[in-house]
Amino acid sequence: MKRISLFTICFVIFIACWVFLRFVVGGVISVPIPGSVISMYMGLVLIAILVHVSVEDSRFKEFIRPIHETLVDENRRVRRIILAVLIPLLLLGYTYTNIAQKANPPGDPRDAHPSPPLELTYKDEVIGSMQDVENPHRHYEKDDPEKFKSHVENGRRVYYQNCFYCHGDHLDGKGHFADALNPLPANFQDPGIIPNFQESFFFWRISKGGPGLPASGTPWNSAMPIWEDHLTKEEIWDVILFLSDYTGYPYRTFGEGH
Amino acid sequence: MRSRNIVLAALILGLLSVFNLTFAQDAPEVSEKGKEVYEESCAHCHGIEGRGDGSAAENLLPQPRDFTRGLYKIRSTESGQLPTDQDLFDIITEGMPGSSMPGWETSLGTNDRWEVVAYIKTFYEGFKEQETPPRQISLEGKIPYSEESVEIGKILYTQFACFECHGNLGRGDGTSAPTLEDEWGFKSWPANLTQSWNYRGGNDIDDIYKRFIGGIAGSAMPMFEDPAFGLTIEESKRYNELDSKAEMTETEEEEYNQLDEKMGNAYEILDLMADGDATEEQKQIYDTAMKEFNVKSWHLANYVKSLSPEKRPEAAIGKNVLRSQYTINELPEMADAAWETLESSYFPLVGQIIVEPRQFNPTIDSVNVKSFYNDTEVAFLFTWDDRTHNTEVEEDEDTGTTFEDAIAIQFPVKVPKGPTAPKPYFLWGGKLPVYLWQWKASAADKITELTAKGINNAEVQEVQGNIEAKGEYTDGQYRLWVKRALKTDDKKDLQLEPAVFVPIAFSAWDGANGDVGTKRVISSWYSFVLEPVPSSRRFIYPPLVALLSFGLLVGLREFVRQRNT
Repeated sequence: MKRISLFTICFVIFIACWVFLRFVVGGVISVPIPGSVISMYMGLVLIAILVHVSVEDSRFKEFIRPIHETLVDENRRVRRIILAVLIPLLLLGYTYTNIAQKANPPGDPRDAHPSPPLELTYKDEVIGSMQDVENPHRHYEKDDPEKFKSHVENGRRVYYQNCFYCHGDHLDGKGHFADALNPLPANFQDPGIIPNFQESFFFWRISKGGPGLPASGTPWNSAMPIWEDHLTKEEIWDVILFLSDYTGYPYRTFGEGH
Repeated sequence: MRSRNIVLAALILGLLSVFNLTFAQDAPEVSEKGKEVYEESCAHCHGIEGRGDGSAAENLLPQPRDFTRGLYKIRSTESGQLPTDQDLFDIITEGMPGSSMPGWETSLGTNDRWEVVAYIKTFYEGFKEQETPPRQISLEGKIPYSEESVEIGKILYTQFACFECHGNLGRGDGTSAPTLEDEWGFKSWPANLTQSWNYRGGNDIDDIYKRFIGGIAGSAMPMFEDPAFGLTIEESKRYNELDSKAEMTETEEEEYNQLDEKMGNAYEILDLMADGDATEEQKQIYDTAMKEFNVKSWHLANYVKSLSPEKRPEAAIGKNVLRSQYTINELPEMADAAWETLESSYFPLVGQIIVEPRQFNPTIDSVNVKSFYNDTEVAFLFTWDDRTHNTEVEEDEDTGTTFEDAIAIQFPVKVPKGPTAPKPYFLWGGKLPVYLWQWKASAADKITELTAKGINNAEVQEVQGNIEAKGEYTDGQYRLWVKRALKTDDKKDLQLEPAVFVPIAFSAWDGANGDVGTKRVISSWYSFVLEPVPSSRRFIYPPLVALLSFGLLVGLREFVRQRNT
């Protein structure tokens, strides 16, 4: 069997690294990696290969032997011609697609954590400070489980009469109206949503909706209605209970010592 | 070695299918678990007692199924039969596209879904009284999809009078469409067959075929009746041909009578079969006629399949964004074939449920848009499906409200600079105003320019610019052509220039669906761009790069050769 040349081995390693980064790490294991990050890693791989082959003189000679042969050896004529046509053609295609690329519309950068006001209000009535207000129906969970259940049930009714069109039957943000919205409705099944916020934060977002978002962190394109126009205070607190009851995620709380 | 593998594979497959069969045939015994899951996940729409009257039901159309009647739309069983357990399981698993019934595969485990099937069946006594399993629709004799079959199906579409409800081109705009109601007296619109992503029972050819043979129970979709029962496709074609002739020759008349008799016989046998009085010979005629009927239904299913794209088009974002195409010529008129050369961008629309009065049950799915521009003007072609043509403004006698079809195309007055600059509120603006083109079906050749600072705060612009428009309605579809100058003198208008992404959004009204004012379908912001003329650099740089790299290669070879010598 013919020995595989050092050059071929290096070439294969290089390509394999790219495939691994692009499709295995950035596909099977995780989300796609940005092109610039891949180029950085590939640069490192290239340097590593060059260091490896240039450590010894003999190894370097072995490494460039196939390149040398391809360039001048009479027996490599066919390969030479093919490469001489292929390389310029590939570069031609690459530059053409880069220049002719169409621009994509500007993205919608979106702050996932809009900063809430210091005071929690319902319409014009001040409820308390955002930090301290608790769900007035939450204590029933311990004190009166039956009553708690009736509040959750009321929350369920409110949810399916008002929210599920966008936020979905499964609370996963995939309601039958979600398609036309950008940004997409919040997904309460996402473990990063409910556990990261206090109930008072949810009350604020529900009662004031998209138009109530702060002046900073724009642009807000949220289609979330101003629910205080449609729902009572009690209904909003109940639907907040329902969200965590259905998904099983607890809201963020600040224990003693905070 | 290989044969052993095959045996093993066959064994596993066999085991799997046995397992599947026993698993799939029957729902488990009714249990507390089923009740629990039902009440947690289903009752808010279908009601605690299964009457389809849950707390959310009020605002839903199609209404949630009333389980107490035993009428199930999507079945694999023949007309008049109850569904199989598997049918119920499948609907729960996959949901009903185009309605508010979602698929439950991700949120309920397989066992839970089976428990619910068992529980749902308790709402209707008929399930208990069933002595034999429901008769399933046979898929035998399926005719594979082909151009020829579609052609035959097209003829049958007319013969079976599908167009009366579904319209000539299948957009659900038939003459009887506005009058249809379901078994419970709720409005029931015939399916728009060009939007297969909304077919409640799925858009496989098999699914479509089953809807023909089994009907859609409780809806206005009947079990199929063949108007030329007993005749082959060729014969029925001939029959219709002769029937429409003003005068027939003697031989033609004889032929016509023969066909007529054949058909009459078949119908008679149909009755005899129902009573169980048919002779062997008659049974045979019946069998042949039924086979012919099934063949026709397969052709028709293939035709229906051909009417729609497989999937809902992707919304106009990313690579699908609306790009107005540059042309050096005059912009094409509405009927110009040039429009066919463009791909349309698809903007899904949904009910406006933010400001009262709200629209919970929209009938308009989307609007498709194409656009051309030249150095001075831009032209758009908007198309959207609407089952009814409501131009004559109909008035609600009690409130004096008027209903008609309309659309409004929304832009910001000033294009936000950069991605972090705020856009106006997507619902007709707020602090930042929006610029609107409003078109109404009653004035098909007119665009009215509005400025709005809120959904209830729109003003007709005092200075109406020179906007050309032409609207038409054919076969369940509106086409609206609009042309305007890129730049105007009016400060309240949007000014356009190439390569700038401009936010765009839509509102549309279907008068027959009670749309008026805030009750409408909407989209949030999308964007469009006057696509810049591609840079001519693309013809210069790439060849240069290619030449240069070739030169380098040659140079390298020379260098190496020199060194060798």
